[in-house]
Amino acid sequence: MKQHKTINCKEVMSHICDNLGEDLDSPRCVAIKSHLDECESCQTYFKSVDNTIQFYKKYNVKLSDEAHTRLIDYLGLNDE
Amino acid sequence: MNELELIEKAQLGDKKALSELVKNYEQTVYNFSFKICRDKDKAEHTMQETFMSMVKNIKQFSGKSKLSTWLYTVVSNHCLMLARSSRKHDYAASLDDDDVLIDEKSVADWSVTPDKVTENNELKIILDEAIQKLPADYRIVFLLRDVEGLSTEETGKIVELSIPAVKSRLHRARAFLRNELNQKLKYETA
Ligand SMILES: [Zn+2]
Repeated sequence: MKQHKTINCKEVMSHICDNLGEDLDSPRCVAIKSHLDECESCQTYFKSVDNTIQFYKKYNVKLSDEAHTRLIDYLGLNDE
Repeated sequence: MNELELIEKAQLGDKKALSELVKNYEQTVYNFSFKICRDKDKAEHTMQETFMSMVKNIKQFSGKSKLSTWLYTVVSNHCLMLARSSRKHDYAASLDDDDVLIDEKSVADWSVTPDKVTENNELKIILDEAIQKLPADYRIVFLLRDVEGLSTEETGKIVELSIPAVKSRLHRARAFLRNELNQKLKYETA
């Protein structure tokens, strides 16, 4: 059971982006998980990937009342 | 009134029902358009065209897919069309190169956290610039799947890509954006 010893950070990093959650019990996934549990560098990497997603999730814009009115006018949906 | 009832009424020409549908989705469509275009005027224009298309084609809407999926599709296609007509950037090269894409040597904590986005304009510019370097089809996959939270299947349908193709683009888009942000946000260790 030396398999996971052969996995390096780069392989771990390229794999997890590919969607954790698939065939989690495969030997490769198990090896990756155990590497990840112990490797601070990989943990930081994935935290930054996750933060990347969060940044774009939290950066939102609100439609102004004026833009709403322009839309309704444009569509010809205003009353009367 | 639920959505299907609203759609049925709208299909019969009921303006109130149409306005109601517009109201229910305008914020989502505008926000999503902005996330693709990174420009408020372009986002408003895209939103207007998207709802115009909805108004014109509501009779053909079968109800087999969700209205939201349909709207996402129109926004995405509009954006892809614009991107094809301008095709100015060519940063895509590094997206095909795993050696560049996965930068395992540059791993550091970041100096800002995501909850600071709303108040930090400098950060917004960094985020806008980074995502604009991504080719449109990568950008859309990342936004639909990771940011809007659609399933891989739904995303694939919208952009007309197979599931493995969606996953591969997603993987590359994430790594690319992460590298871009990492260069700007990592703590500099002197
Ligand atoms: Zn590692």
